[in-house]
Amino acid sequence: MRRFNSQALILIGAILFVLYLAGVPLVMLLYGSIRSAPIGEPGAAYTIQNYVKAYFDKEFYFLLLNSIYYGIGTCTLTFLIGTFLAWVSERTNTPFKKLFVVMSLIPFIIPGILSTIAWILLLSPKIGLINIVIKELLGLESAPFNVYSMWGMIWAEAIHLYPLVFLLMSAAFRNMDTSLEEAALTAGSSTFATFSRITLPLMRPAMFSVLLINFIRGIEAFEVPALIGVPARISVFTTKIFLAIHQFPSDFGLAGAYAVTLLVISTTGVLIYGRITRGGERYATVTGKGYRPRVIDLGVWKYATLAVSFAIFFLAVILPVFVLLWSSFIPYYGVPSRELMEKMTFANYHYILNYPLALTAFKNSFYLSVGSATLVMLLTSVIAWITVKSKLPGRALLDNMTFIPIAMPGIVLGVSLIWVYLTLPIPIYGTIWVLLLAYITKFMPYGIRAASASMIQINKELEEASLTAGGTWFQTFRKIILPLLMPGFTAGWIYISIIALRELSTSILLYSYNSTVLSIMAFDLWEGGQYTYVCALGVLMVLLLIAMAFTARKLGARLGIAG
Amino acid sequence: MAEKRDMVQIEALEKYFGEDKERVHVLKGVSLNIPEGSLYTFLGPSGCGKTTTLRCVAGLERPDGGRISIDGQVVFASGERVYIPTNKRPIGMVFQSYAIWPHMTVAENVAYPLTIHRRPKAEIRQRVVDVLKVVGLDGLEDRPAPKLSGGQQQRVAFARALINEPKVMLLDEPLSNLDAKLRVAMRSEIKLLQRRTSITTIFVTHDQAEALAISDQIAVMHGGKLIEIGSPHQLYSRPKRRFTATFLGLTNLIDGKVLEVDGDSRPAKMQTKKGILSFIPAPGLKRDQAAVISIRPENIPVHKEKPQSLDNVVEGTVKEAIFMGDAYHCKIAVGDDVLAVHTHPFNTISPGEKVYLHLDPKSCNGLPADDTEGVDESMLGD
Repeated sequence: MRRFNSQALILIGAILFVLYLAGVPLVMLLYGSIRSAPIGEPGAAYTIQNYVKAYFDKEFYFLLLNSIYYGIGTCTLTFLIGTFLAWVSERTNTPFKKLFVVMSLIPFIIPGILSTIAWILLLSPKIGLINIVIKELLGLESAPFNVYSMWGMIWAEAIHLYPLVFLLMSAAFRNMDTSLEEAALTAGSSTFATFSRITLPLMRPAMFSVLLINFIRGIEAFEVPALIGVPARISVFTTKIFLAIHQFPSDFGLAGAYAVTLLVISTTGVLIYGRITRGGERYATVTGKGYRPRVIDLGVWKYATLAVSFAIFFLAVILPVFVLLWSSFIPYYGVPSRELMEKMTFANYHYILNYPLALTAFKNSFYLSVGSATLVMLLTSVIAWITVKSKLPGRALLDNMTFIPIAMPGIVLGVSLIWVYLTLPIPIYGTIWVLLLAYITKFMPYGIRAASASMIQINKELEEASLTAGGTWFQTFRKIILPLLMPGFTAGWIYISIIALRELSTSILLYSYNSTVLSIMAFDLWEGGQYTYVCALGVLMVLLLIAMAFTARKLGARLGIAG
Repeated sequence: MAEKRDMVQIEALEKYFGEDKERVHVLKGVSLNIPEGSLYTFLGPSGCGKTTTLRCVAGLERPDGGRISIDGQVVFASGERVYIPTNKRPIGMVFQSYAIWPHMTVAENVAYPLTIHRRPKAEIRQRVVDVLKVVGLDGLEDRPAPKLSGGQQQRVAFARALINEPKVMLLDEPLSNLDAKLRVAMRSEIKLLQRRTSITTIFVTHDQAEALAISDQIAVMHGGKLIEIGSPHQLYSRPKRRFTATFLGLTNLIDGKVLEVDGDSRPAKMQTKKGILSFIPAPGLKRDQAAVISIRPENIPVHKEKPQSLDNVVEGTVKEAIFMGDAYHCKIAVGDDVLAVHTHPFNTISPGEKVYLHLDPKSCNGLPADDTEGVDESMLGD
């Protein structure tokens, strides 16, 4: 009897690959943080010196405080903005609320580094557009806003992260059984009492999990702390790790100790999050029942909610996009004026397209984005088949393994992979391949989420029908499972290719000259003070993202179920 | 009729579901042989193991013990560690949900068993046209699968199962997703199709009327065990087990104890609370054994006057008589018991009336009262 058929090979291969991707970096990070000498140097011994150095540094506690302050500020502000918009769009009769969903998704397509740059260009005390305009209008002596502050950082982060809150809270509002509220109303409770005693407690788990996930995202964030926090001398964990490696000589041990600390914090958060949502949220698309939400008539107040909502979109979408577009067409940075208008030019685009590294960066980013999205979705489709459809022992563990990287902040993954590929005899350090592996590892959790949710919806008999028709496991997977999985596959693919194209925090520790990607190029141009060039590059990046998402949708529709 | 060879042989099939503490014994030594060319039904209530047995034949479940062979080839044998995977077995299967692939057209669905074996395009096209004609779907080749009605989907499922000319067709409750009218129409179509193709067919259902209407042979299952095998007529009119009598159609059970018995199918006598009654004993019924008499409501003539020179007459009072159009459905109190009796609609009958019921010995089947014991070999088929 042939034991090792295609099925066994593919399944075992996928399992080993996941174990390698998720497990090895973790082990190597812990190993690296207890080594005395930098990687590759002889005479290294086991030591706790790195932790001693990290924890007995007074700065450590500033770091911790800053990080927590930043995390709490970010999650609170994103929560307020996102929940307000979700409530307005799901539960009120505010006009144009259908538009909100679309508008809330637009910030998603703007890479974090660009949104950060946009807010510096808007709120910098010296060159910030908003500051200059308000100063002139009100005749102020000094700039009213300073982006180089903790509040500036929190604002720049929150206005970028709120779409996730909007989506999660909209789902929470939508999936709530409104008859529970109606029961309270018929029992004689007032609208306000119903809200505070029924609606709020019912929403509490959803609210807490949303706050928690944004706290983690705040603590893991890199772009805003690096671009705003570093010049403002406000250090958080992620920038500290980055600087420990980017100083000369690099202190890998110290970076490792900080990275482990950050990992412990984020893992705790993810574990609590998992405990609250108990896997239910992961498959929210499947469990979403079609309750008809009870819509509150706001009377004239609906114009107030409309105004506030559009003000948020103006700040989150229109202003940043405008400032990026504007800056990309002018020769030097300045407030829009007739004089500057006349000088508008394509010179920035011309410069970017002729920049020596630009072609490499575009190619690398494109290959990495398409490659990692495709590989992640293929890998996680197989894994999802194992965890959802098979009865293999240990499949729950495999599911958890695939999820491990979600607790790994990008910068921590970067540090871990430095250790892995400087230690293991796999000669890919400094090549595009290490970035590809990093991206696959990092985006695996998103892939498995999309793939499992779709896999659950595929009736087992569709697969069995293929087996009884004489199809092998591989034929069944390719001809039946994958096409039926296409909606989830495409959604996951689009999401991953977008976040891969804007990835910065992991790439920045792993790139070399030849494996530069677009976000790194933007980062370097910014560091070099070439603001208008960065904006031109950013506009091109966004166009590429839109084109990719559009193409993927078209292709996915053709390959998947028609109608 | 000449002795037909067995197409499917199942021996001592064992299957457990779940692990450790939650382990459930779902098949407890099921053995049966399915003759070539027959339409063979597994009948039983949900959870009786009928679908599991079918899935073991298909190879979709791996049994924990026993042996299965199809067309003389062993496809599973626990002792010899033989397990032929589903896709290598000469079967075609129709699923409860039909399992029509929504991303394909009718023709693509039906052609699938041929395309994966890389048959020439021309041959595939011809055979798809032929098989669609057989199931009455000619002309619908290019329709996308989601645009089919329930009945059409079922025909596609049949065409797909038939196209590779399987040795055995497996039908897993294929009618349960159709509305009542279509179900009746499809069941005669299935029977005709099976007659025409004479492919050995296993049909799983929990619906006794369906089983009676369609089958050559029925295997009644309960609690993971085989209860009884027989033709629809045998099982309905001469059941050998109490479970068969109650599961197939309506019946009245009268408790008692066997007084005399003289071999199979000769009249015997039983002591009951309604006096001594004559009956036809099931094989193996012994003297002094606790037993029941099973008699169907439509086999009980009602007399207004006490009939003379008839055995097995009991007196009762009409409790309820409901006019059903084709019959009166009556509840008649006899002593402490209430018997269900169906009478001809001409025979007007009203509550409170005193009547005499003729429990014709030829219609009285004496069965062992205890149904939990193992199955006597003599009850399994003829």
